[in-house]
Amino acid sequence: MSTFDASTLVYVLQIVIGGLLVGIGVHFVPVGGAPAAMAQATGVGTGTVQLATGSGLTGLISAGLMMSVTDNILLIVLSGAVGAMIMIDVTMLVGNWVYIYGVGVPPVAAKTDYDPITKDPQPPYISPGTVGHGVPTVSYVSGTIGGLMGGAGGSLIYYALMNINGVSGLSAFFAIGIFVVNAVIASYNIQGTIEGFHDPKFKRVPRAVQACFVATLIIGIFAVLIHGGA
Amino acid sequence: MSVAAGGGESKIDKTKLTMYGLGGGVLGIYLAHVLNMVTGTGYFSFLAGLGAIAAVLMGADAVRRVCAYGIGTGVPSIGMMAMGMGLVAAWFGLAVAGVAGPIIGIAIAMGFGYFVGMLANKIIKMNIPVMEEVLMSLGGAGAMVIIGLSVVISGQIGYQDMLNDVVFTGYIAIVFIAGALAILQPFNANLGPDETQDRTLVLAISTGALGMFAAGIGSLVTVGVGGAVLTMLIAAAIWLKAFLWFFKLVKRDSSGVVGTGLLPEGGL
Repeated sequence: MSTFDASTLVYVLQIVIGGLLVGIGVHFVPVGGAPAAMAQATGVGTGTVQLATGSGLTGLISAGLMMSVTDNILLIVLSGAVGAMIMIDVTMLVGNWVYIYGVGVPPVAAKTDYDPITKDPQPPYISPGTVGHGVPTVSYVSGTIGGLMGGAGGSLIYYALMNINGVSGLSAFFAIGIFVVNAVIASYNIQGTIEGFHDPKFKRVPRAVQACFVATLIIGIFAVLIHGGA
Repeated sequence: MSVAAGGGESKIDKTKLTMYGLGGGVLGIYLAHVLNMVTGTGYFSFLAGLGAIAAVLMGADAVRRVCAYGIGTGVPSIGMMAMGMGLVAAWFGLAVAGVAGPIIGIAIAMGFGYFVGMLANKIIKMNIPVMEEVLMSLGGAGAMVIIGLSVVISGQIGYQDMLNDVVFTGYIAIVFIAGALAILQPFNANLGPDETQDRTLVLAISTGALGMFAAGIGSLVTVGVGGAVLTMLIAAAIWLKAFLWFFKLVKRDSSGVVGTGLLPEGGL
């Protein structure tokens, strides 16, 4: 059993910050769930956990690659963030191709009258009977920010665990474990769907911050006590 | 609260299922360990796989109980969360408690589950009355499935051996995702207003057997060909039996398709 000293406390702190980043990041990702899969709601047509895990795992892979050449925490976390951003951006881009060229709908947000970034009016483009469709500019930018936070959070957890047990397989899967717990708590907070930072549901972030903080702290304390064998 | 995603009557009581799941899971894991140690072979690894199937049953029933409330995020989310909590708790138990590891791990996973359920109800305000109890079962089931499938691969409970056989080989990825799918798939495939408990649980046996089969393939290089083939054969037999049973229940529960002929002249 690892001893519990000052540096362990720092690692617990890093894990908690990582968990919080994941929990907040999920609120930025435009998740549409099943309605979006039928182009009847704004966002990518799948669940939060699938999107968050997909981008988070890509972030972990890029963070792991960076960790094999350097110990610099900033480079590792940035590398993880960029990996997750690329993954979520590609998902949203290809999703948009399907919505635009396949389904034949323009990307439009339903929770705001004007896109805060492009200032384009939104309501004229919403098909009757739907609550938006596709991934409009504001949701795309929001999703990229979400990828940044999720990837950075995941790689921070990985970095902390790697310094404790030194076993990449164990650290990666513990990071995934802590990652999915926070992603699911956050997605319960938004009840499964959100359009991005302009969505009224985004105001619920403080609740997720509290819940993710406590949950990550408890799981993190156990995770740092696991050693990497002889 | 309305029943949003279906979920019919429960014929088998949840307490009974939880008891059998916990008892079967722990018994399977320890029997595999002890019999393998005593005989010095890997032939009894399949018992841990049977334990994992018992745990999958308990988890799948917990999933169907909570998802009947309509959690809004899809069924997979709660299965993945169970595995996330179970993974950390299971390996913590194995790392600090030696042979008592599985029991400690399962207990801690259930603690995590209760706690996260409380957070979901108190802070996120989901207000699902069964949340704490269900996540407790799910955390325990997740930990048991992870330990069970890991013991199938390593053949025994011992932190260093399990690290060598399960983590360094990368099989932990298969254990994680096959276990998660085994727990979440049964209800995800059956949900709807006509969902019945026996159909979901029979599908859980078949998905659990598939997880056991995958772990059996992993154990080819770790416990030896004899033990691995025995695990795979038993898993395949269970899967076949359960799947045929499931098919029969699907036919029982499905609506009849009756030919009515063409509409009569002027019938529109």
